[in-house]
Amino acid sequence: MMLRPCDVVLIAITIWLTLANIARAFIRRRILHASYLGVTWAIFISFTIADLFSFAVGNWILALLSFVALREYFSLIEVRIQDRLAILGAYLSIPFMFYFVAIDWYGMFIVSIPVYSFLAIPLLITLGGKQREGTIHSIGVIEFGLFLLFCLGHLGYLMRFSSWMAAALVIQVVVCDVSSYLLRDRLRSLLAETIARFLVPLPLTISVALLLSPWTGIPTRHSLIHGAMIPLLVIMGHRTADYVQVDLLGGEGALFPDRGRVLDDLKSFLFATPVVFHYIRYFLT
Amino acid sequence: MTDSRTRTVLCLVTHALLLRPFIKFFSGVRVVGGEHIRGLDQYIIIANHNSHLDTLVLFFLLPLRDIARSHPVADEPYFSKSRLAFRLISFLFQPIWITRGRPETDRDPLEKVKQVLASRHNLIIFPEGTRGRPGEMESFKSGIGRLVAQCPDVPIVPVYLSGPERALPKGSKLLLPFWNSIVIGHPQTYHGPHRDITRRLESILVELSLSNAARRKRSARKRAAAVVAFLGIDGSGKSTVSRIVAQGLSRASNVAFVSDGLEFYEQGASRDAQPLLAEKLREIIGRNAKRAKSLRAYKVPKLAELLLRDYLIHEVERWYNPEIIITDGLPIFNMAAWAALYKKEAIDEETCTQAISYLTEDAGRMDHSERLLRDLPELKFIRHLSLTRLRLPKAVVMLDVAPGTACARISSRGEQRQVHETEEKLSELREAYLMVCEVVQRHWGIPVQIIDGSQTLQQVASKSLQFAESLSLQKGEAGESSN
Repeated sequence: MMLRPCDVVLIAITIWLTLANIARAFIRRRILHASYLGVTWAIFISFTIADLFSFAVGNWILALLSFVALREYFSLIEVRIQDRLAILGAYLSIPFMFYFVAIDWYGMFIVSIPVYSFLAIPLLITLGGKQREGTIHSIGVIEFGLFLLFCLGHLGYLMRFSSWMAAALVIQVVVCDVSSYLLRDRLRSLLAETIARFLVPLPLTISVALLLSPWTGIPTRHSLIHGAMIPLLVIMGHRTADYVQVDLLGGEGALFPDRGRVLDDLKSFLFATPVVFHYIRYFLT
Repeated sequence: MTDSRTRTVLCLVTHALLLRPFIKFFSGVRVVGGEHIRGLDQYIIIANHNSHLDTLVLFFLLPLRDIARSHPVADEPYFSKSRLAFRLISFLFQPIWITRGRPETDRDPLEKVKQVLASRHNLIIFPEGTRGRPGEMESFKSGIGRLVAQCPDVPIVPVYLSGPERALPKGSKLLLPFWNSIVIGHPQTYHGPHRDITRRLESILVELSLSNAARRKRSARKRAAAVVAFLGIDGSGKSTVSRIVAQGLSRASNVAFVSDGLEFYEQGASRDAQPLLAEKLREIIGRNAKRAKSLRAYKVPKLAELLLRDYLIHEVERWYNPEIIITDGLPIFNMAAWAALYKKEAIDEETCTQAISYLTEDAGRMDHSERLLRDLPELKFIRHLSLTRLRLPKAVVMLDVAPGTACARISSRGEQRQVHETEEKLSELREAYLMVCEVVQRHWGIPVQIIDGSQTLQQVASKSLQFAESLSLQKGEAGESSN
């Protein structure tokens, strides 16, 4: 099998992330502890496997990652005993959705969560018990968790178009995150910080998009536009997820695997993945 | 000998290759303070108990070499219901089987446990004695204190588990993935009288549960309103007195008054509120009950009315969020007293306690309820309708009036007499109420004030108001919710 240069780069990134993860296990330094090495590593492993061996396996690795994210989310929310059936339904939505990604049935994938799961959850809540109080709250809370899952499903479908399209998106998001990490608490007003968080990574994300366009296959014009979109989407995702996180965790203390760490790692993807995916799907396929 | 060794090896392999990976990857475990357990030779682990998974999660903590020589203490009758489960549990955890609540025999119930400690094995004990409600800790049984007092050299390791109560809560058979977080406290030895030890251990576990490492709960939750119940036979003046008290208390806080009608008071004055459907329904049924010709015909509508009244209290709390609810009578207590009236021979203080705890699901223990259910089949009926979880009040005021006085008052009202309003029945009812007061005071620690109702209305009202004000029922100060 002949490896193309793009494959080599993908493998190199994956190996580098693997080593960094091993190093983290030994060093346990705080900066590494808080960084999202684990999630990025899982995502890149799935890209590499999808690229080189089998799309299905890569896809199911993403499904596992969704399971981890969903489990953490459900561990943080308050659930009543009667919501347990609905939570089982939410977990079962993972294979339900990723199956349609695996067999490339776009129409069904795109309605799987927003139509079928979103209808099934309220029904399952009513089947779980007799208490009517708190139903709306439970529906909302559980379905937001499903939306996180839907987000990763989009990443999976993007990976189906091309591993490098998905990889480029992840790299661009990481660039945004690193720059916003470096910028935090440096500027006085929230507005200034938001603008800086948009303007600083902007040239970087655009150049990443342009640089990778031979591999992603996105034409220059669209690379420019979607490279410019990403910082904005990341800011939106951060803002939304921050509110959710503070509500879930009380907004202080360190993040642990069961205390919002995976959610924290995925928050930048909340808006970026679906919007970029639909942009690419609409204009380019 | 070889047989037991094979068993041990098999058990270790099952733990290492099956159960531990399952806990780790299906649920996820975060351990804080794992180093506290590693260096110890022998220890007693005490932990809070909310789920059947607790034992499994605790075994996850143990070093592999300790698995074969650690034993949870478990209730034999409970687990021997299923033969397979019993054998599986015996194989995996080698528990020490005891019988909970066994009548006093000449053997020391701790003997088996002490033998195990003497052979330098470890113990796992859930001092709450039973799985409580999810996420709530119950008070410790005294057994743990006795054991520690008798074996003071073995270090105690307190462990707080959170997560299993969500993965497999009591009353659910559906196992779901949820993170477990385990906080292990410092091992320590204890000396002294056993009551003190029990109390110390309990406070240590509560402390662990509040520690930053344990899971954070969402705090912004509505506080339950404080319910103050006025009891008394018909004609004791309880509706009038309780209304005056409601008005009086409303100077400081929002008060809902549940009597034959539903009223709200704010800053000493009555306030309008949107009517509730449940209230209308209750009114109709209540009117029906009052017209009954015999005690038998009175029973069903009265019971329905009482159940609706309890529902009404919940509804009032939900829709109007008052700080205090004053009720004229309280469904659970009225039911108990009426049961005493219908089934004089069946009701004594013990059955009364059991019936109340059955209906309020207090502690959720239904061990001794067979006789109770035979005597009071209505209880089963109520349970089938899922109408248990009736409400216990924060405080009780009992207006005690001689039946003769009450009868005189009733006839002076000039209304048609209800069927039970005879001197004989009223004196029985009065005794029943007094018994209920006694029971709730002793068993649930609810403050009860018994006021002589033969004084003038003003005196009674001012005394009751004084008592109610002394309770500090306002939300900010009222500690835990009453339910």
